[in-house]
Amino acid sequence: MPDTADVLCLESLHVHFPIQGRLFDRLRGRPAGAVRAVDGIDLNIGRGEIVALVGESGSGKTTVGRVITKLAQPTGGRMLFDGRDMTSVQGSSALRPYRHRVQMIFQDAYQALNPRHTVFDIVAEPLRSLRLVEDGKQLAERVGEALASAGLNPPGDFFARFPHELSGGQRQRVVIAGALAVRPELIVADEPVSMLDVSIRAQILQVLVDLRAKHNMALLFITHDLPLAWLIADRIAVLYLGKLVEIGSADEVTFNPRHPYTVALRNATPQIGGNVGRAELPALQGEVPSAARVPKGCRFHPRCPVAFDRCREEEPPPVEVGSGHTAACWLAT
Amino acid sequence: MSESTVRYSPRGRAGAIKGFLRRFLGYGGAQVGLVCLMFFLIVAAVPGILVGPLQTAINATGDFLVPPSSQHLLGTDEVGRDVLNLVVHGARISLTIALLATVISLVLGTTIGMTAGYYGGRADVWLMRLTDFFFVMPSFVLALVITPVVLEVMGRGGEILGLRPSLFVIIVVIGMTSWAFVARIVRSQTLSLKERTFIDRARIAGSSNLSIMVRHLLPNLVPQIGANGALVVAGAIYVETSLSFLGLGDPLQPSWGTLLSLAQRAGAASAGAWWCLGAPGVCVLMVSLSFVLIGNALDDTFNPRRRVIP
Ligand SMILES: Nc1ncnc2c1ncn2[C@@H]1O[C@H](COP(=O)(O)OP(=O)(O)O)[C@@H](O)[C@H]1O
Ligand SMILES: [Mg+2]
Repeated sequence: MPDTADVLCLESLHVHFPIQGRLFDRLRGRPAGAVRAVDGIDLNIGRGEIVALVGESGSGKTTVGRVITKLAQPTGGRMLFDGRDMTSVQGSSALRPYRHRVQMIFQDAYQALNPRHTVFDIVAEPLRSLRLVEDGKQLAERVGEALASAGLNPPGDFFARFPHELSGGQRQRVVIAGALAVRPELIVADEPVSMLDVSIRAQILQVLVDLRAKHNMALLFITHDLPLAWLIADRIAVLYLGKLVEIGSADEVTFNPRHPYTVALRNATPQIGGNVGRAELPALQGEVPSAARVPKGCRFHPRCPVAFDRCREEEPPPVEVGSGHTAACWLAT
Repeated sequence: MSESTVRYSPRGRAGAIKGFLRRFLGYGGAQVGLVCLMFFLIVAAVPGILVGPLQTAINATGDFLVPPSSQHLLGTDEVGRDVLNLVVHGARISLTIALLATVISLVLGTTIGMTAGYYGGRADVWLMRLTDFFFVMPSFVLALVITPVVLEVMGRGGEILGLRPSLFVIIVVIGMTSWAFVARIVRSQTLSLKERTFIDRARIAGSSNLSIMVRHLLPNLVPQIGANGALVVAGAIYVETSLSFLGLGDPLQPSWGTLLSLAQRAGAASAGAWWCLGAPGVCVLMVSLSFVLIGNALDDTFNPRRRVIP
């Protein structure tokens, strides 16, 4: 039974992208295989909860976000929103009620804004398409309200501007305003501050945190930055090569990590790594392997400093290591 | 707050257009093309005021095949008509045909190219096959095929928008044979545009496919469509000339191609009457050249990097 307190449940979610095999391989009947971008994820997001999805580049974070926002179709598993199975719902009109409740903020705000639309049209687009307003007056009110919530004041000054006339921070605020305008219950934010100047990051993060406080919006905050995740999130889920290796409260995962990958991530950041963590394990070696060739056994074993024989053969299941804290490692128990 | 220290110029659409015009007019080719085109457009707009009504064999004012003189600036043809009069009236016919055919071509090409590129998959495969079919279709063959159909529908004396059946056929034929070029360009541009994040955002905003195509893709395709539209007009003028030269024109509404055809048939070349052939020929060259110049300048304005590599 889905827990109705959760706004979103992902159950054993898979997204495999087929690889177009080379002609030579196809003639010899070799299977082409697939990029296992997301390879069995279970994740719940509660109402008004901020969950951070952390992982290196290529670990599948964006793909998870695209599935939740219905831009990509999962190849396996289920996605429940408010207890309703949304996995196979498709088409812009069938998705309209869902679009009203789930919105997205993008990494590159410049790319996310049509260069030929004004700020007003950009923010008004979801309100118009989802038919959430009755007349022009109401539309202008809602657009102004959304721009103000996103920190663009006075909103009227921005209505007629084009994206290229805005600074990077202001563009991201416009993207946020567009997502806010429909008053969604869940926002997926895919690395929303990674392309912004450090001085602006804090302000944008504040806008996101305020949303939860004011409107009880849930937030899936996607980032590669563990300290940032700790700063903003209630819970942290650590993704490695398409699988969640550790989930727990932000403090637990950050200060008491149980998976070697999380430990390595933490050690990579001097602010919280400190001397204690550093002595335990060396920092990460090498790069994330390609999701097209997932290692056998535990997918982290080729880079794991404490791997032993079992890790090379069997994939560890997630085990409970504390209250609401799970880790998928043979050494975690 | 560093983000509010960015300086804005208070410019919106009007400013963008002004900037575009400044860059566009900076190209010498654009200036020459525009001046030349202006001249022909004025001529085509008010032929009656400039040279009086269209001369026919009945109201011809001169002797046969008189070389250019002060009375007949461009000489006369084999039935004594003033060539200047014919060429000025021909401008209207030629330009009308070319522009109407271009409109057909752009509408068809944009719709088909955008649909194929946006939906992809099977729609793309079939639409592009259709496009390839029309791409290689010779206009003369198509004209021969649809002439009887149009005559059947319109009747021999009928008119559509003041155009007699044979001219109507030419417009339809040019429109049908030139859209494939536009469709290919629009499709390839659509393929790259649809991967842009703002299309994803539009989808999340709940916009339908139609609305994404009309509101998001089309405005971003306008530069390509404009630049190639100018080239399509140039091509249309050529095709119109050759179709008319081959005898598909209408003697009662003579275009430049028809004039060339009539002069050729009357033996103007062997009689040494170069003015009969030269006047309409130079007009065809100049108008298509100015559209090519304008098209290239538009292309350069929109993609300044493209021509760095020759
Ligand atoms: N449309 C796609 N087709 C094929 N492979 C893809 C596609 N999208 C993502 N991938 C692959 O899936 C993996 C995860 O990508 P992504 O979700 O973008 O990771 P992240 O956002 O964590 O950097 C990568 O190996 C990437 O190459
Ligand atoms: Mg990503």
